[in-house]
Amino acid sequence: MANPFNLPMMGRSLRNLLSRPATRRYPSEVRPHFAGTRGTLEFDLDTCVFCGLCARRCPTVALTCSREDRFFAIEQLRCIACGVCIDLCNKDSLRMSEDAPHVHLHTGAAPGDPRPGHQEWHQQPPDGSPPVPGDAAGGTATAAV
Amino acid sequence: MKRTTIPFGPQHPVLPEPLVLDLILEDEKVIDAIPTIGYIHRGLEALVESVEYTEFGYVVERICGICSFMHGMGYAVAMEEIMAVEVPERARWLRLIWAEMSRIHSHLLWLGLGADAFGFENLFMHCWRTREEVLDIFEKTTGGRIIFSVNRIGGVRRDISDTELAAIVTKLQQLGASFTETARIFETDPSIRHRLSGVGILSREDAHAVDAVGPMARASGIRMDTRLTGTHLYDRLDFEPVLETAGDCLARVVVRVREISQSIDLIRQAVDRMPKAEGAPIEVKVRGLPTGEVFERLEQPRGEVVYYIKANGTKYLERFRARTPTFANIPAMIKLVKGCDLADVPNIIMTIDPCISCTER
Repeated sequence: MANPFNLPMMGRSLRNLLSRPATRRYPSEVRPHFAGTRGTLEFDLDTCVFCGLCARRCPTVALTCSREDRFFAIEQLRCIACGVCIDLCNKDSLRMSEDAPHVHLHTGAAPGDPRPGHQEWHQQPPDGSPPVPGDAAGGTATAAV
Repeated sequence: MKRTTIPFGPQHPVLPEPLVLDLILEDEKVIDAIPTIGYIHRGLEALVESVEYTEFGYVVERICGICSFMHGMGYAVAMEEIMAVEVPERARWLRLIWAEMSRIHSHLLWLGLGADAFGFENLFMHCWRTREEVLDIFEKTTGGRIIFSVNRIGGVRRDISDTELAAIVTKLQQLGASFTETARIFETDPSIRHRLSGVGILSREDAHAVDAVGPMARASGIRMDTRLTGTHLYDRLDFEPVLETAGDCLARVVVRVREISQSIDLIRQAVDRMPKAEGAPIEVKVRGLPTGEVFERLEQPRGEVVYYIKANGTKYLERFRARTPTFANIPAMIKLVKGCDLADVPNIIMTIDPCISCTER
């Protein structure tokens, strides 16, 4: 017959009753991420030279880069946030934001585009052709989440 | 007596993953159990034919969410052996530290699931709360909580500063001190003892006969641990595996509880003994294509894992095979289930710490 007074869990359970909860009241209280957390891949059109190294070495083929078309695209749903592209990029055009990846509910960038999580950037060629109105960087970015 | 067949799984409250057992019963006694696996087979091994060897490490990590670091490390170490790469010492120490942290987080996860399986939901919450602190350390040092992507053929991708290593040791020692109370509950609580003590006894001889591995074998008194071979720098640490002799469900729980404290101590020893060389190289460039074949063994939280890799001089490997610890422990589990009561089946299955994702790959 077990000793009815041997209750090692009891002390902790009583302490728990009187202490603050261990959980946070999400979403009003959000847990901060640590520096260096691999969250979502972000791209900077201004610094990219379209060398295409990142796209060639991406293990999940989530990146598309074209030097001729000055075009860059990220398939966020393919990205596994390994950070290989960031290690390779000499121009620091890619960085990892600490935010958790978005939930991609809608369809792609353009109307009728069936690729959720697709982001793409176009840069105007440096041949004097006029930049797209309303875009100071001389390029356009379209994204879908 | 009339026999009844009861399907156990693939959906069952105690099973986090889909294992299927057809239990053949006479009254309440299990006479036979027929396992079926294959519910989450993903064909990861076959991906070597279409994924380059440099990128296959990210696939190997995804064999299992709990042993992801160990799988990534095993693949990297095996490939380094094939390609005769000398890995910087700091990278090897960092791998050891992360591997032991994986063991802590895996055992804490399992203790929570085990507590839930024998009806102790409060204890389950406590174990998982403690595990969160280990996951936070992982996130701080690798950038990921479950999938770390830090192993690379030739080393690791992130360094940990010496001050941060000291802080990790302090944090883990605090965690160990606060876990002492939870450990005492697992070892002494009368309801847990009543539920687990004397249930599912695997004798030392039987454990040998069915080739049990890991905590399953150590709970039956077999001194078997791949870390004893001294590979992966374990020869530089004072290490003696945790042994129990009872061989029952409680012994398997106690082995895992004590291995948590042991892993914290191993991390402390590693930080003390690794050269204070912050900024030293942590990876070497690997060039060329692999040729040859290799076997590699590691001690995962659940037991010994064996990798076999065959490379044929192209950028695609010819064969990759992982013999995971749960696969080795399934015969032992079947042996234990035969002859027990139906009510004890969930506890016996849980105490082998089944990882079906690893088993089926």
